[in-house]
Amino acid sequence: MGEKRRSTSKTLGKNKRRKGPHLPNSILKTIANEKRPLNSDEEDDEIDSDDAIVDLYEYEEGVPEEESRKNNRYDPVVNYNYELPEDFEDENVESDDDDEGGNSDNEEGEGDDVVRHTRMLQAVTGMPSAAFDGESKRKPVLFTEAYPESEFNPTRDVLEGKGLLTIDELMAPIEGKPGFNELEKRISRMQKDAQAVVHAPLPKPERERLERKAVKGLVDKEFNKWVHMVKRNREAPTVYFNQNVSLGYSTVGAIASEFQPRTDFEKKMASVLNDNELGEAHDEDGAKLLELNEVSVEDQIKYRDHIAKMRSLLFRHELKSKRIKKIKSKTYHRLKGKDLKKSAMGALMDPEMAKEEAMKQEARRVEERMTLKHKNTGKWAKRMISRGLNVKYDGTRAAISEQLQINATLSRKMNSTNDGSSSDESDDEEELNDGSDQDTPSKLIAKAREKTLKTVEDDEVPNSGLLSLPFMARAMKKKNEEAIEGGKRALEEYEEWENSGGEENPKKTAVVSGRRVFGATAKVEAPKESRKDSDNFYDNSDSDNDTEGIENNDLGAVRDTASPARNTGAITETEKFDDDVENPASKTTFDVALFASGSWKKMKGCQNAETKKKLKKHVPYSKGQDKKESRDDESEDSESEAEEMVDGILTSASKETYEIPSQAELIQRAFAGDDVVDEFEKEKQEVLNQEVPEPEKPVLVPGWGQWTNIQKKRGLPSWMVREHEDAKKKRTLDLKTRKDARLRHVIISEKVDKKVEKLHTTTLPFPYTSKEVFEHSMRMPIGPEFNPATIVGSLNRPEVVKRAGVIIKPLKFEEANPNEKVDDEHPRSNQKQNPKKGGKTGKGQSKGKSKQKTKA
Amino acid sequence: MLSWRLKLRNILEEKTLKDKKLKTQLASREKLYGKSAKTAAKIEKWLLPAEAGYLETDGLEKTWRVKQTDIANEVDLLSSRNQYDIVLPDFGPYKLDFTASGRHMIAGGRKGHLALVDMMSMNLIKEIQVKETVRDVAFLHNEQFFAAAQKKYAYIYGRDGTELHCLKERGPVARLRFLKNHFLLASVNKSGQLHYQDVTYGGMVASIRTGKGRTDVMEVNPYNGVVALGHSGGTVTMWKPTSQAPLVQMQCHPGPVSSVAFHPNGHLMATSGKERKLKIWDLRKFEEIQTIHGFHAKTLSFSQKGLLAAGTGSFVQILGDSSGSSSSHNYSRYMNHSMVKGYQIEKLMFRPYEDVIGIGHSMGWSSILIPGSGEPNFDSWVANPFETSKQRREKEVHLLLDKLPPETIMLDPSKIGAMKPSRRKEKPSRGEIEAEKEVAIEAAKSTELKKKTKGRNKPSKRTKKKKEMVENAKRTFPEQGHNNTASKKRRIGEDAAAELPASLKRFARKN
Repeated sequence: MGEKRRSTSKTLGKNKRRKGPHLPNSILKTIANEKRPLNSDEEDDEIDSDDAIVDLYEYEEGVPEEESRKNNRYDPVVNYNYELPEDFEDENVESDDDDEGGNSDNEEGEGDDVVRHTRMLQAVTGMPSAAFDGESKRKPVLFTEAYPESEFNPTRDVLEGKGLLTIDELMAPIEGKPGFNELEKRISRMQKDAQAVVHAPLPKPERERLERKAVKGLVDKEFNKWVHMVKRNREAPTVYFNQNVSLGYSTVGAIASEFQPRTDFEKKMASVLNDNELGEAHDEDGAKLLELNEVSVEDQIKYRDHIAKMRSLLFRHELKSKRIKKIKSKTYHRLKGKDLKKSAMGALMDPEMAKEEAMKQEARRVEERMTLKHKNTGKWAKRMISRGLNVKYDGTRAAISEQLQINATLSRKMNSTNDGSSSDESDDEEELNDGSDQDTPSKLIAKAREKTLKTVEDDEVPNSGLLSLPFMARAMKKKNEEAIEGGKRALEEYEEWENSGGEENPKKTAVVSGRRVFGATAKVEAPKESRKDSDNFYDNSDSDNDTEGIENNDLGAVRDTASPARNTGAITETEKFDDDVENPASKTTFDVALFASGSWKKMKGCQNAETKKKLKKHVPYSKGQDKKESRDDESEDSESEAEEMVDGILTSASKETYEIPSQAELIQRAFAGDDVVDEFEKEKQEVLNQEVPEPEKPVLVPGWGQWTNIQKKRGLPSWMVREHEDAKKKRTLDLKTRKDARLRHVIISEKVDKKVEKLHTTTLPFPYTSKEVFEHSMRMPIGPEFNPATIVGSLNRPEVVKRAGVIIKPLKFEEANPNEKVDDEHPRSNQKQNPKKGGKTGKGQSKGKSKQKTKA
Repeated sequence: MLSWRLKLRNILEEKTLKDKKLKTQLASREKLYGKSAKTAAKIEKWLLPAEAGYLETDGLEKTWRVKQTDIANEVDLLSSRNQYDIVLPDFGPYKLDFTASGRHMIAGGRKGHLALVDMMSMNLIKEIQVKETVRDVAFLHNEQFFAAAQKKYAYIYGRDGTELHCLKERGPVARLRFLKNHFLLASVNKSGQLHYQDVTYGGMVASIRTGKGRTDVMEVNPYNGVVALGHSGGTVTMWKPTSQAPLVQMQCHPGPVSSVAFHPNGHLMATSGKERKLKIWDLRKFEEIQTIHGFHAKTLSFSQKGLLAAGTGSFVQILGDSSGSSSSHNYSRYMNHSMVKGYQIEKLMFRPYEDVIGIGHSMGWSSILIPGSGEPNFDSWVANPFETSKQRREKEVHLLLDKLPPETIMLDPSKIGAMKPSRRKEKPSRGEIEAEKEVAIEAAKSTELKKKTKGRNKPSKRTKKKKEMVENAKRTFPEQGHNNTASKKRRIGEDAAAELPASLKRFARKN
């Protein structure tokens, strides 16, 4: 505000300057000074609202003569005090926009304001102006507001509570007028209401924060419920999804055991089957069974006659059909076809047949509509026509014309059916609608009953055409019976509903009535039954589960390593030690051969040395030759071994005792490789130098940095020396950390083998974050070669075990069991299959829950 | 065992693992491992039929005083049949090799005599005379094939003695070993070259110059497939086919190494030097566990149950682990056997799944009983001594399917599948870079500018210069945040591309 004001004042100043005649500065100033006193009063009034009540007067000091620089009579005095700029005005001082108009104008305006205000008050309150006059007189303060006062722009007084209007005051003038009492009452009521103080609502962000807090608490609670399950699943080495899953019935017996008799016939059957007497009879041999099975003679005769009759009928019919088949006349066949058609049309009269027919037709129509084969709007047809292929090729033309024909017939048919059947349907629908609209459910049920009764009762059999044939008649009868029974059942159900009040039933009927309805009975019956069925089905499977029990996964069998029976195959030609062979002569020396005799000759003499003989026979060379050979060998390859060998043979007889080596020889042996250790050390040094090379000595380029003696004295630059030292340090460190650093007699190569690198991982596999942990986990082999068969399975079990085709159900909430111990051998199923509730409702839930699971 | 238990507890209890889900999963996994171990122990206790035998002595009797004759008197007929000598003096010291099941043995006489024997029935299946020096023999994956290192080349023969392949690339081979899991035939030749040949397709997988001179000491570590060579300088070097440099070099003896043997579990190695010392090493720490003095072994062999046989001259000594625990080893005399005077033992080898050791010597080969040497129960999936031909064929297919590539040979095969070992300080971490950057900026700020001539020494110019220096210092460090955002953006783009339906994928921006 202040700034704005200032700016306005500035512009004012400028404007002034521009407007007036051009005067010298000094004159302008004096004018300004003269004007001031006049202005001062006003300006004080204009002081900002805070100071408005306190009257402040500022003493305006005149500018000293020296400073005013009048006519430059005085020497310029340097004013070191801070000078306010010329157009500066105090911030608090307000300059009115109306200022421009001049002071007198302003005064008038104020007077105007007062008058206007009183007028306004008068208008609002309805009190005479005199009431306000006193106040205005009491207060000499002039209101000089920025905007003209109005109800939208109330004065400060009004705002601060002075001169506040009360409702009573407002009400006073109309007191005693008609309607006043009523108004008063209303107002008092309003005031009462106002006493229940409504606090101002909290600021929005705060409110929202509170809300969030509350929600967070709730959500936390909800989610924390799942924590233990999620934790368990996360920590489980394997998650199983294949437990206790039964995919429906396992055997025929299981299906049969769940059978509930429903129809009369079934009930009868059940009563017979469950008859105790019969059961007992069965148990106690078949004697009593025969008794129970007694059949009267009449019955038997009746039965036989019936059978015979049927057979003869059948035979006749067969004959007849054969004859008919033989007829070659075309006209006959045409007529027959017509008859058939007619009979089909006639079947329309029969409600069952009509229904079926209608259904069929409907299906055909839908199919037609779907294939759109009956119009030329298909893609193929369009293409054909656009290319003019239909003219060119006979086949296509025929196809298209056929389509058109079908279209024509269909359209005809549609028109006809629309005309014919619409009334009926509309009737039906009307009725249903009526029922759902107004009628009570009981009424509706009554109606349905009526209808079914009608259908049940009227069973006409057509007298002509194929339908009159005996087997057709029988079939019809059968169908009728079925229908009647269905109707009866429906009736029963209606009764039930009626009894129960039938609250939900009308809804159901309304829901079931789809686009088109054929017959009321089936419509009501079908869904109910199916629902029952499905319930049953799930029940059954559930019980199945229970009976099946838990699969035993544990394979407790330990691989039995068969004890290897030692082969007792005869080792025929082994040599047995003979006491006789032991030669006392050979025992003279301390290391006597235990086995065999001292010399080859003796062995030769030995009788049971058959193998040797055999071997001997195989050898094709004689001794002498052999010796020669050996000599040759010696000369050829001059190897010490050969000599040794010969030596061995030679010494076998002569060398008797272990000859103690001479002192010189011993010394030589001991110090044979005297320099060997040194050599090895040298070698090690070499290897080390190769693998951890010594840093190069710092060398200057010749001629550089050596111009003067000083430079030479200074030697190498310090950075070079430092680098060299660092490299040296690094080398020593490297040498220290080598594996063979402490082993003087060992050199272990630390060269990196590039071919081996591919056998290592460059990065840590996912869950691991440290090398040690990973390598530690790698330490044990998990293959079947290294582990017992019982453990291999659990060592190599995949993270998720699931049978193919098993649906993974979302996580289900379970209470935490503090005593539960995760046991790998008895895998805990992650999924309690509960097929009973696995209907449609489950699917809706599954989405939300699966989300939770994924989050977890 | 204990250490990883502790580690596990740390992992599960402390804050090293914050992911609760992972924590519980790991815990359940550990439970399963425990269960597995327990069941395995139970199976071993109750279902495995045979127990390992051993020599039991009472009082002052010593096991090494028990002689083969004594044993022969005590054991059943079948076992006593495993004590025999076959004397073939003409074809000189014999090398032996058994199949994995111990059913078949190949014996190669130095003078060219190759004999394939069925040990169960003691039938000589095939015997050929190659008429040249045979330095070593080795079975391939089953008894159907065996390789012989002959004078000039190595050959592969079939069961019926037909020569199938002549391996000319290797030169005169000194030692042959077959790596069963990798189907590699390893050989070291006279010039000290180590060759690996894949016998499934015949390709030479690696030929390595050892550079240590000629050697005929070579053994395969059954645990990891690493080949060890003993050299004349007293060093034992270990090799794999995918690197030209030795994995490990150990100075085992001051004198030449005469033989090397590996424990079946791969943790122990025995070496003997010409200076008459036998040393046992722990290969996990590469430290010497035990030194046995006064004993120079020309040949060493570990049995399945961990007995160590050493042969010198005509004397066989069996050492047993008397400590009984798997962590500490204390090998001491278990049994002795001395051959006939003058028989020079060439090769000792325990027969798998039998308490028998085969001795190849200069006068043929012998077999003696060492109670408690062999694994009493065989797993027919691993090695079946009573294998039928059909089983053998199926096994062969399985072996080929399970064949390991040569790069899986490494010192610690349990590292396969683990994280790639980080290269040493290739990339400083982000925090380090930032710290460095700050230091550099501070240094740039605190540098004293030289006083320049009148016109150039204005404060404005000085501040400008300083600013420039700071900027320069900053510029030397790559903008990390920038890079990250760029990569993130790209990743987002990729994700979008991945999420798009197939038909729209081609419109995704390719980066």
